[in-house]
Amino acid sequence: MSEDQTAHSSTEPGGGTVTAADRSFETSSQTVVAFAGQTLTIAQLEYRLSLRSRWTLALTALFGLLSLLVVGFGGSSAGPFRVDAVVVSLASLATYLVPLAALVYGYDTIVGAEETGWLDMVFALPVSRRRVVVGAFLGRATSLAGATAIGFGLGGLVLFVRVDTVPWGLYADVLFGAVTLGLAFLALGVLVSTVAAEKTHALGIALLVWAWLVFGHDLAALGLVAAFDLPNVMLTGLVLANPIDIFRVFVLSGLEITGSGMAAVVTGTALSTTVLLGGAMAWVVLPVSVAAQLIHRRSL
Amino acid sequence: MNAIEVTGVTKKYSEITALDRLSLAIESGSTFGLLGTNGAGKSTLFKLLVGHIRPDDGTVSVAGTDVATAGPELRSIVGYLPEHAGFPPSLTGREVLEFHARMHSLPDAASRIDAVLSVVGLSDAADRCVGGYSNGMTRRLGLAAALLSRPRILLLDEPTAGLDPRGVADFHRVIERLDAQSDLTVVISSHVLTEIESLCERIAILHGGQLCTVGDIDGLRREVTDDVRVRLRLGDAASADSIQTIVSAFDASVHSTDHDGDVVFVDCDPEDVPQLLTELTEAVTIDGYDVREPGLERVFEQVLSEAEQDSQPRQSAESSEQLRTVSHDE
Repeated sequence: MSEDQTAHSSTEPGGGTVTAADRSFETSSQTVVAFAGQTLTIAQLEYRLSLRSRWTLALTALFGLLSLLVVGFGGSSAGPFRVDAVVVSLASLATYLVPLAALVYGYDTIVGAEETGWLDMVFALPVSRRRVVVGAFLGRATSLAGATAIGFGLGGLVLFVRVDTVPWGLYADVLFGAVTLGLAFLALGVLVSTVAAEKTHALGIALLVWAWLVFGHDLAALGLVAAFDLPNVMLTGLVLANPIDIFRVFVLSGLEITGSGMAAVVTGTALSTTVLLGGAMAWVVLPVSVAAQLIHRRSL
Repeated sequence: MNAIEVTGVTKKYSEITALDRLSLAIESGSTFGLLGTNGAGKSTLFKLLVGHIRPDDGTVSVAGTDVATAGPELRSIVGYLPEHAGFPPSLTGREVLEFHARMHSLPDAASRIDAVLSVVGLSDAADRCVGGYSNGMTRRLGLAAALLSRPRILLLDEPTAGLDPRGVADFHRVIERLDAQSDLTVVISSHVLTEIESLCERIAILHGGQLCTVGDIDGLRREVTDDVRVRLRLGDAASADSIQTIVSAFDASVHSTDHDGDVVFVDCDPEDVPQLLTELTEAVTIDGYDVREPGLERVFEQVLSEAEQDSQPRQSAESSEQLRTVSHDE
């Protein structure tokens, strides 16, 4: 602490008295403003870059096209239009597609910038590395969330046109769940990008993460469920250990159709919405926090 | 006062020692050159100075502050152009500088950006995407970004690498203009010795992560040799042998001769040059000649050869020690 800050009180030029506590508050609030300012600057730049790259447009188009196809095919079958079946199909699509898209969207955040020489420039600025990681995540998260919401939202619009009574709450759950799922996997992508030495390594690790969480984790968990009579707390733990299972349970727990995998096993358990939301938030926040810590170990 | 002080710094990358107990001080307001072969440790030193990496041992201080314990604020007084600077290709040059200005919280960003763009000659290309820039333009944009915050210390790692001769000349003009600011400390690393010779007052030569020598260029020249180099262009290449015979008469003062086709180089005492030229022009046909002071190249070569000679006995001693260790283990 500087000498100014340790002084108990002093008189301002205007005549008011400034205490050490006031100064401490000012200093900490200035720090917060500076943190937010630089982080937002990086986030804005990253958002701008992601919009200018064709990735965001391509993802929006892909999500939109597939959600339209699902809604279209959902109404083409014989018999009455099954909104819940359409929602389950959309959720199933999201569990495979959104994690992969988000990982690919995020795997080069840090390591890619390093390979182009941009990170060398940014780290030479008077900004902490932690802010760079958080800002880069926020920027990409904004554009990915937008792409997911617009893409899957298109399906909702068509549904609105075709069906008289759309269960908006359910569709909103799918939309919110897909966005959160994307953010969780984007956070994992940023973490992978922070620890990987090369872009190709990062892509390889990202694909392994995707394969594990989409297929491996469910297979292992179902094996455990089949082999042992697991208590509810273990089932809850298994669900919370995978953001895809959180998404499935969150979206499908309100439906009679339960979907597949761990979701089918645990929809009857006492996983509250609060717990599921907490778990999903943890999957977004924790990887970014770990990345923000590990970035200090990265040598350029 | 020293702008930069490096004390006993060692930096290793797994088995490779990039810097080995390096100690160096760079005076404020000077233009300092870092020379060395590839892998000498120049870029590692820059990365330590800007805080990208931390030393395994020793201390690095910039403007009197230890880089290891300083916050990112220290970098507000340091401008850095890395060897492989790059920018997002979809940004314009101006957008890159606007980003830098916001990160530095510069109050008069717009006018400063216009000023640095003008200094580096990128005003016309400022609103074009960086992806369309040539290598030289990218380097100049990097320099503009480094200058934007009006730093007290400017670190330029291989600033002219890959530039065409005109780009190099433009770059030199910018550096010379900056040199006029008495309070700015500029540290330049380069493989181009003539560049360092023309821009810098003091240099350090690194080899294998160790400091071989440091000092002002004229002093180092005098340390290495007092000779001048006479370059003779012969009318007939066959007469090079005759020249050897003539210069052998100047045994005490001529220290080396060499020839490349019809051009002969003679290193000798400056006082003997008139007599040598008289005798040579009487004996052989000489189309032209010039006399040069020893360049930085000779300083560099001599310092490096001495460093290599010093390291050879040490390496062989280490090898013998390793062999002894292996045989003991066996």
